[in-house]
Amino acid sequence: MARHGSDATQLVTPAMLAVVGVLASLPLWIGQVGLYPYIGIEIVIWAIYALSFNLLLGYTGLPSFGHGAYFGIGAYAFGLFQQNVLPGLWPCLAAAAGAAALAGLVVAAFISHRRGIYYAFMTIAFGQVFWVVAIKSHAITGGEDGLLRIQRAPADFGIVSFDLRDNVSLYYFVLGVFAVVLVALWRLVNSPYGRILQAVKQNETRAAFVGYNVWLYKFSVFALSAALSGLAGGLFAMAQTSAFPDVMSLHYSGYVVMMTLIGGGIVSFWGPVIGAALFLLARDAIGAVTTAWMLWFGLLFMLVVLFKPEGIAGWWQDLRREGGARRPGLARLRMLFGG
Amino acid sequence: MNLLPHILNGITLGLLFALIALGFMLVVGLMEQINLAHGSLFALGAYLAFVVVSGRLPLPVEWVREWLLVPLAWRYAAALVVAPLLTALAGMVLELCVRRTYGKDPLYGLLLTFGAAMVIEELIRLVWGTRDYVLPVPPSISGGMIFWDLIWSTYRFYAAAFSIGAIGLVWLFIERTPYGAIIKAGAHDSEIVRALGIDLTRLRLYVFAFGTLLAALAGIIVAPIWGIRPHMGVDAVVPAFLIIVLGGVGSFWGAVAAGILVGLVVGVSGAYASEWSLLSMYILLIAVVTFRARGLSGKKSLLEA
Amino acid sequence: MVLFEAENLQMRFGDRTVLENVTLSFGAGKLYGIMGPNGAGKTTCFNVLTGRYRPTRGRVRIDGEDITGLPPHLIARKGVSRSFQIMNLFNDFTARDNVMTALPEMRARSFETRRAVASDAKLADAAEAVLARVGLAGKGDVRAKNLSYGDRRALEIGVALAAAPRVLFLDEPTSGLGSDGTARLAGLIGTLKGQLTIVVIEHDMPFLFGLADEISVIHWGQVIAQGTPGELRANDWVRRSNLGKLQ
Repeated sequence: MARHGSDATQLVTPAMLAVVGVLASLPLWIGQVGLYPYIGIEIVIWAIYALSFNLLLGYTGLPSFGHGAYFGIGAYAFGLFQQNVLPGLWPCLAAAAGAAALAGLVVAAFISHRRGIYYAFMTIAFGQVFWVVAIKSHAITGGEDGLLRIQRAPADFGIVSFDLRDNVSLYYFVLGVFAVVLVALWRLVNSPYGRILQAVKQNETRAAFVGYNVWLYKFSVFALSAALSGLAGGLFAMAQTSAFPDVMSLHYSGYVVMMTLIGGGIVSFWGPVIGAALFLLARDAIGAVTTAWMLWFGLLFMLVVLFKPEGIAGWWQDLRREGGARRPGLARLRMLFGG
Repeated sequence: MNLLPHILNGITLGLLFALIALGFMLVVGLMEQINLAHGSLFALGAYLAFVVVSGRLPLPVEWVREWLLVPLAWRYAAALVVAPLLTALAGMVLELCVRRTYGKDPLYGLLLTFGAAMVIEELIRLVWGTRDYVLPVPPSISGGMIFWDLIWSTYRFYAAAFSIGAIGLVWLFIERTPYGAIIKAGAHDSEIVRALGIDLTRLRLYVFAFGTLLAALAGIIVAPIWGIRPHMGVDAVVPAFLIIVLGGVGSFWGAVAAGILVGLVVGVSGAYASEWSLLSMYILLIAVVTFRARGLSGKKSLLEA
Repeated sequence: MVLFEAENLQMRFGDRTVLENVTLSFGAGKLYGIMGPNGAGKTTCFNVLTGRYRPTRGRVRIDGEDITGLPPHLIARKGVSRSFQIMNLFNDFTARDNVMTALPEMRARSFETRRAVASDAKLADAAEAVLARVGLAGKGDVRAKNLSYGDRRALEIGVALAAAPRVLFLDEPTSGLGSDGTARLAGLIGTLKGQLTIVVIEHDMPFLFGLADEISVIHWGQVIAQGTPGELRANDWVRRSNLGKLQ
């Protein structure tokens, strides 16, 4: 993982301001480019999901290939909690994160002493278990018909309350959550805890022999990532006003891996965000022309894995390294957007 | 409840699982690469066989009419030869990409073949759509028979026998031919292989193609039972992967035993809770791998790094 | 005073016995050498002493406290640190971050998630001090994978040293180095001598006989000779073996 330079000590970095700023302006121009605000909601939610996934893949080197399970559990937990326990937004989001964290804790207990492909496969197996359960528990989840009639409860901040039924207001709400997640994750990855996660990624043996309980780090970060994925899933249930099992399938679990890798999650904090945006924009742009958009995205993914596993962010970092000195104007822009 | 039919059913299912896992195992064995496109190639084999048998070929109408006059048994036999060979060609193209990842973290091969699986599956959707197809089989191996007052599907016996034959042939190939010896050595020590003067690059290409051919054969055999649809690839690759992990990487009989075990568990649990029988294989895996790091009889390999 | 001791260690893998009745004791502040042919069980011995393997029999104690069978990270926290024959570094980290990760101050804060590592000047200073101790001052910003082989060997010791151990195990620290590099490492280990207990596995005999207070010879998984370099020079086995070819 690349060093984050002096930005590492900051609570809010220029890059965060730039990204959230650009996203905040999205409803103003998204209609003009032939898209619609709802895609903004999807991009931001999947960005949160991909960021939390990258805590495992990019920072700790843990290939969790069944991660859709926790996103899906978050979505179902949000809906079920709303319909059966408390209808408020905050308790529902807490339930989404909590349920996914719980599932993550159980799975992590089984897999945290594993490595490599075995780890990857165990996560796939657990992901399939949750997926099958979601499909077959028709009475609870609605099976393949989905859990329907999930409400977009208002965001109540005590003094003010925002109605989220409109897509633009929901967009600003998820963007707000995204900003909080960004700040929190940036703190986390630059903290001692985050540093040790990166150490575990590079060399488990070494980390153990200088006194770190590697198992505990792999265990805790998995649960943490599951919780955040569940939060994203809860938001997704709200956006869709329903929850379906397909986000838990192997395909969807693969999508978040593709996003993260293409964006450059291996070398950059921002990789998952770039990847999520690219993935969803490509889906709509290519999808408008051909139904086989996944074919083209799959090919792009293969090319990235073959020739540039560091993804778009890695390519950007290379450009900065080579061209930064020659073109000061561009370099300043790059400093703002950095790797 | 009489469990015997379920046990027999489980064993035939297990043999099919073992057949599906065979090619996957060869590739893992020699290249220490997980080929996640194995399932898509399995599906491609089934689709191509369907094209051959049903005569839906991009050929002049008269030729197709002529072809359809050929007895079904002959067309089926032709499909059993042509479809795996064509799929093996696709596998060779894939190997040309995959070879760039040899020697790197096996994760890259996994990701690359995942992308390839997506691409192949989308191609299948593009060409054949999302509907289900049924692979016609000759009357001599379809239909049913009755004993113990129960109806048994003839085709399942044929499929089981075919699997046993394929497993036996692959075993003979690995154990009794010089290529097999190289495949076994290659997994652990590519230097020895080079020292013996064998072109490892070409060997890997052929083994990958052979693995693909086996995937396609499995696809054709399984197609009449599962139906031909785009999702059949995922339905095959996850059990294949599971069986290799359960049996232990690098162990032929471990994989065969794991395949039969999985089939038995799915079959017998299906007797009690048919809705949930798919879950049982994951639970079996989790139970075994939690206590035995390398499955039932695995060796240490790169895949753990 | 005995700081670290191993008593009657036995290590079996299946039906192979790799260590048999190995008893060793290391006094505070001294430097010990371990020698023996390849495959004699030296590295296995280190692996048992530092917790990678649990011995099938026998006891390991530090400062009288039984640490037999504890996992590596707990043994490390008791003040036992080691380097590896095949280098184990955090390759993508800079040299400074490698060392910093091993610092006890870092370990104490290891579940802290709010403050950035980079904002803590004390950690950086402590890391710089360790780098200077192993002769890597000024190279703190170089990534471990970009360091020269000799520097990587020094960093390997630096990481082990950064954990502030009471006992430091070094597994063939000069492995792969030429004579200049070996001399540099010998100099480095010489400067550490007396500051803490050091146990070195080494094939380079002049190196070992020049530095060690006491040497143990391990062969076929057993300690076959033990003594000061002077005593061992006279030992029959050492004299007969290729290992003992000293000028």
